[in-house]
Amino acid sequence: MRMKAAWQNWLEERYNIDEFKTFAASKLVPSHRYEIWYFTGGIVLFLFIMQFITGAALALYYIPHTEYAHKSIIEIVTKLHAGWFFRSLHYWGAQLAIAVLFIHVFSALLLKSYRKPRELIWISGCKLLGISIFFGLSGYFLLWDERAFAAVRVATGGAGDLPLIGGFIKTFLRGGIDVTGETLTRFYAFHVSILPLVTIFLIVMHLFLVHYHGMGLPRSEENRKHGETPFFPNIFYKDLMIWLVVLGIVVTMATLLPPEIGKQADPLAPAPENIKPEWYFLFLFQTLKLFPGTMLGFNGETIAIILVSFGVLFFFLIPFFDRKSSRGEKSPLFTGIGLAYMVYFIVMTIIGFFS
Amino acid sequence: MRITSSLVTRRTFLNTLFGGWLLAFFSGSLYSLIKFAFPTIDKEPDFVVLFARDFLPIAPNSVKSFAWGGKVGLFLKKTNGAIFALKGVCTHMECNITYKPEEKKFYCACHKGWFDDNGKNIEGPPPKPLEFFDIIISNENLIIVKKGVNIDPAKI
Repeated sequence: MRMKAAWQNWLEERYNIDEFKTFAASKLVPSHRYEIWYFTGGIVLFLFIMQFITGAALALYYIPHTEYAHKSIIEIVTKLHAGWFFRSLHYWGAQLAIAVLFIHVFSALLLKSYRKPRELIWISGCKLLGISIFFGLSGYFLLWDERAFAAVRVATGGAGDLPLIGGFIKTFLRGGIDVTGETLTRFYAFHVSILPLVTIFLIVMHLFLVHYHGMGLPRSEENRKHGETPFFPNIFYKDLMIWLVVLGIVVTMATLLPPEIGKQADPLAPAPENIKPEWYFLFLFQTLKLFPGTMLGFNGETIAIILVSFGVLFFFLIPFFDRKSSRGEKSPLFTGIGLAYMVYFIVMTIIGFFS
Repeated sequence: MRITSSLVTRRTFLNTLFGGWLLAFFSGSLYSLIKFAFPTIDKEPDFVVLFARDFLPIAPNSVKSFAWGGKVGLFLKKTNGAIFALKGVCTHMECNITYKPEEKKFYCACHKGWFDDNGKNIEGPPPKPLEFFDIIISNENLIIVKKGVNIDPAKI
């Protein structure tokens, strides 16, 4: 007890503790029937923290070189103490993070949380979604197995189909004209250094903005009477409880379904039969399959890539197109557009999964 | 002659000087950083030289792969014994293709593209036929040459 009092004294002599306490007590979260969606962001945050920890552990042993990459992962899962578990946790943490991130984004889209004044929260969130997908791609490329090799060729080649800047992006990502060892070191640098730094910056910004504006209210709840719950401790404890459940799910998945490691990549071997990308690329994969080789005399894949780029760009800029929501009016058109995006994503993913 | 007034104050002058210096410094640094990060581009080879004895005796209606730079090249012997060399990369999204001897077709597993044994795109998303190369046999060498490139086999 004396220790605690002494420690408290030490702090209080130097910092204005009461100011922190008042600040913490003043943070309120509106309670209403859609409040459950507020927790999806917290889950993603928790999973990201887990990814940083398990990723840092794996980076101690992984070797980003064509000769050793595949072998070093096999060593991690077979020879190191609980190595299989940490790799499996990192894998399932990533899967779940991306899944919950999609839920988080679609809930923000349908509740129109992006409307004025929260446009920049939406933009930073969309950037984080894009980065997470790039995290996923660069992460499974580090396996250096057959599927990863083909997937990265397709993804970087697809970027190369963009007019004007495509060739530049493709060469930059590949580190040359082909997917080689140069690509592996590049993706390693992206995965363990560049993307994490950008992610931390964006998360800090995202959270700061959420705190600055306060939690967004759905339009239908704005005129209704609703209570407010203090963040500390009520919501914070709820967050912790949910995180515990999520941890349980990730650990269960990691233990029961450790991810496979395919055959080592061989640039001269044909693409394996029935090859499929990760589930969060399936909607793109399925979209690409829809387009024929040539359309009206143009290259079909170029048209597909341009259309997809416009779709993504529109999604990104939705807060600026949806003027009605920004004025606080009902905006059924954008509810429809949001639903269309969601249904397209879900349906194409399912078709991709079963075809 | 003494100048009594100037359009530029001392502050504007110094701000422009320092601002210009900062701009030059950061754009120079950024330029060299981008130049460093952007790879020096190698190009695809004009030709590769292989041992003829490794490739010529393969069974009819089969292929054997070789390295065409960082990509895969395929050496094809048709049923009638005619030999061809082609780039084994799908023209759609650059996946490596495989030869299906029973159907005498090339197949790309990534997006289900098909080519006949002349490299023509016949089914699925591929927009263009496969790229074929010229073959020169000189002494023990099998030289695979990009179409349109002239080389002198005696010099190899």
